[in-house]
Amino acid sequence: MTWRTSGWEKALRYLLMLAVLAVTVGPFLWQLSTSLKGTTEDVYTSPPRFLPRHPTLHNYTAVADIIPVWDYALNSLQVALASVLTNLVGASMAGYALARLRFGGRRLAGLVFVTALLVPLESIVIAQFTMMRDLHLNNTLTAVVLPGAVGALNVLLMRNAFANVPYEIEEAAVIDGANVWQRFTRIALPSVRGTLAVVAIFAFMGAWDDFLWPLIVLSDSDRFTLTVGLDFLHGTFAQNPRLVAAGTVIAVAPLIVMFTCLQRYFFRGVGEGAVKG
Amino acid sequence: MPPLRRAASATAALLVSALTLTACGSGGDDGGSSADGKAEGKITFQTWNLRAKFKDYFEGLVRDFEKQNPDVKVAWLDQPAEHYADKLSADAGAGTLPDVVNVSPDLSYPLAKAGLLTNLDKEKAAARFKGEYTPEAWQGNSLPGLGGSYAFPWYLNTGPLFYNKTLFRDSGLDPERPPRSYGELFADADRMARQSGGKTATLAATPSIEDFGRYGVQLMNADATKFTYDEPKGVELLTKYKDLYEHGGLDPQALTNTPEKSGQKFLEQKVAMNPGGAHDLETFKENAPSLYRNLGITDAPNNTGKPNMYVMGLAVNSRSKHKAAAIAFAHFVTGKQQQEAFAHKVAIFPSTKGSLDDPYWTKEDGTDEGRVRVASAKMLKGAVNYTPVVMSDEMKTILRNEVAKALQGKKSPRQALDDAAAQSNKLLRQG
Amino acid sequence: MAGRIRTHRAASPWLFLLPGLAVTAAFTLYPFLSTVGKAFTDARTLTPGHWTGLANFRAMLEDEQFWVALRNSGLYVLLVVPFTVLLPLLLALLVEKQLPGVTFFRSAFYTPVVASVVVVSLIWVWMLDDRGLVNGILRALDTGPVDFLGDEWLLLLSAMALTVWKGLGYYMVVYLAALGNVPRELHEAAAVDGAGALRRFTSVTVPAVRSTMVLVGALSSVSAFKVFSEVFLMAGPSGGPAGQDTTLVMLVQRTGTGLGGRVGYASAVSLVVFAVTLLLMLLVLRADRKEAP
Repeated sequence: MTWRTSGWEKALRYLLMLAVLAVTVGPFLWQLSTSLKGTTEDVYTSPPRFLPRHPTLHNYTAVADIIPVWDYALNSLQVALASVLTNLVGASMAGYALARLRFGGRRLAGLVFVTALLVPLESIVIAQFTMMRDLHLNNTLTAVVLPGAVGALNVLLMRNAFANVPYEIEEAAVIDGANVWQRFTRIALPSVRGTLAVVAIFAFMGAWDDFLWPLIVLSDSDRFTLTVGLDFLHGTFAQNPRLVAAGTVIAVAPLIVMFTCLQRYFFRGVGEGAVKG
Repeated sequence: MPPLRRAASATAALLVSALTLTACGSGGDDGGSSADGKAEGKITFQTWNLRAKFKDYFEGLVRDFEKQNPDVKVAWLDQPAEHYADKLSADAGAGTLPDVVNVSPDLSYPLAKAGLLTNLDKEKAAARFKGEYTPEAWQGNSLPGLGGSYAFPWYLNTGPLFYNKTLFRDSGLDPERPPRSYGELFADADRMARQSGGKTATLAATPSIEDFGRYGVQLMNADATKFTYDEPKGVELLTKYKDLYEHGGLDPQALTNTPEKSGQKFLEQKVAMNPGGAHDLETFKENAPSLYRNLGITDAPNNTGKPNMYVMGLAVNSRSKHKAAAIAFAHFVTGKQQQEAFAHKVAIFPSTKGSLDDPYWTKEDGTDEGRVRVASAKMLKGAVNYTPVVMSDEMKTILRNEVAKALQGKKSPRQALDDAAAQSNKLLRQG
Repeated sequence: MAGRIRTHRAASPWLFLLPGLAVTAAFTLYPFLSTVGKAFTDARTLTPGHWTGLANFRAMLEDEQFWVALRNSGLYVLLVVPFTVLLPLLLALLVEKQLPGVTFFRSAFYTPVVASVVVVSLIWVWMLDDRGLVNGILRALDTGPVDFLGDEWLLLLSAMALTVWKGLGYYMVVYLAALGNVPRELHEAAAVDGAGALRRFTSVTVPAVRSTMVLVGALSSVSAFKVFSEVFLMAGPSGGPAGQDTTLVMLVQRTGTGLGGRVGYASAVSLVVFAVTLLLMLLVLRADRKEAP
């Protein structure tokens, strides 16, 4: 007997996967459905109606009338892309040093990143702000990016990924006389492409979803990021679930699109960064 | 400016800034530039969640002011509703507070105490405008223990109370005679709960500090250094609320209802009375036409004869580099003409003297909005801001949570209020 | 591992570490150290404060809210972590097999991770409302409504469910990576021996991914103990009925922010949070080392 998937096992797997699908994605679809319902349609029916009877984009145009959604999305995009870039560079360099280079103080350096993971961020926001003020960076998008520019978790992920690459390839390069930087860029980096995708996605998500920090550090409403801007909806139009739903869909949709595009690299990358069993 | 005078004023500025450094946190309002000079320079003006609905109005204001004062440039900032206090504290701590800031008295109190706002009563350039505002509004922005008013009175609001005439009628109550005092309120609520078999609650929210104030409870001692709402009258009010909660007169979810949630329940006609404002009428009209047709409007029940009002003000940063311009602009925005124009756009009320005698606020024009407007404007005469300005958000949370414990039956009303007052007093002493 | 010969100059590692260390030290560790310093003062938001020694910690012992918050954060770890360790593993086993369409399911299960916690909490509040989706379904089944958002325990459990739900995809991916390294032969051998699915799970899968389970346990205990957003957004700033759903980080936020914020006290509470998470992490890792063969 070989270890093969029998027919009923397949059916059971699909059934279970569909059930989990309903639980994980269902709430987002419900939100999407609410956002497409017009003002004449009751959003509180029992049993709930999933498909809007007269789907309309009215709520989306209304959101765009109230707040400059596109400008805010552009700000968010700038912040997120900058964060992706700094995280890719900073985390891969630090991760490489921790995994591949031997030097006194390596444990201490590693400890710095682990400790950073434990700090409750809610308690340091004000101290961070004062710091930005001293650097004359408050009210700039740069200040929004900086605290998360090299995430500690990303450094540790990269460290694991590099540690899992067989050392022999690099050894050959050492013998060929390649210096550290050449080994890093030509040999190490290409073999952890997947983990780079993971870090890119984490950095993008982190920057795009952050709320409290951009709110504190930005004053000028022209520079608000999307999550902060959407809070104007929540404060002013809380009674209208359709508008709030449209706002949340606007906030989530770009992330889902981006993830769908990158998911192939993502799942490959997670394999590299994993702790070997 | 002759060289000698220039040198003298530079020395003075140095001295002043040295004084500011040593006097930090003492409540003084020195520092910044002179308020008596010519209005010039680039100033920042921050409002609180007004951009989404009134962008054109504020851009117009800035344009008009800059036309009258060509040497001044105004940059308008607006902050979202949530975490406004956090935003202000970050700015205040880092010295980046805008020149003109939209504050309510509970926000201006800690700022003024740290010496960050200008005492308008002591600043000649500002004090001369005092007579342009109603005494109640000026009084509403003055802060106990700090010797003056720290914000130009801006818009006022008072919550009318909406009630559902259908639900009143169904319980055999006269829909044209809503409760006026707390006694009547509790009697009506009891009747409504019994008649509906516990299905219809009269109120959706637990009592707030304003309720204690309107009930006639002594909230604080005279110099605002100690909370006294645990006096027998306060205990009496909470005991009545507890009774209400147990018999279905108060919504079963009252302990967790947010103002939005309470509004929702009123909309769903599960709750018979709810505080609100004229902007709610639009929501009712659109989302609950049957409620809208049977909507009653009254004042919040009151045992003191003095209704509650909410006051907003515009404070001037005491360290502003262009104080003269900041004062001029804050005065301009809170000027009679500008306030009245704003109040025509949205259901708020001007705090300038004589404004409320205008027919717009005294004569009903047949619309429901007009009815609410006139009723509220009438209430504003003699209204007070019950919420003590020294009561921080943390102290409000303490009261809310202790009240909840009493309603749940975990503590006696007396114990709950004693505990809340004791905890708040402890915080007050540390402050 | 790296050979004995020196393959780089002494300064190189530090140059590689520079951007990461600089950012982490400047924007996380330094602010945190200044927070630690404030824990021993009576600092307020707008005043620097004076040295008060252990006064904040003594006040904490007498603060009823602190104990409630400690209980809730502790319960969060106890009740959330077993689920975040086990459910994602089962999920990973479910989508591990290369069946047609399985990549779609994998990505779909990841959706809750991608969305911000603010958005996700809004959606959940909207679903658990007494007129929301869940109660709509319950009513159609002639039960309910259940007061998810009004009862102190149901609220806390709902927030925990949200945390588990949001973490499912994240930890599933971590497990998928680890499972990829489990030699197939082990499963096949067990199957030949006639082991059932459950036996295969406990005798093959679990030992193979044990260290990953420990890692997931450590990460999720730390984040469960630091929980803030989910509970804050579902139970409201005052922490549910009578504040009974307050967590430790919520207490930090409530006491330490705002214009009159007691920064000193809040810093002391965050120091406790930090110490406990450090302890949790060490405990989990120590347990791992002891058990390891």
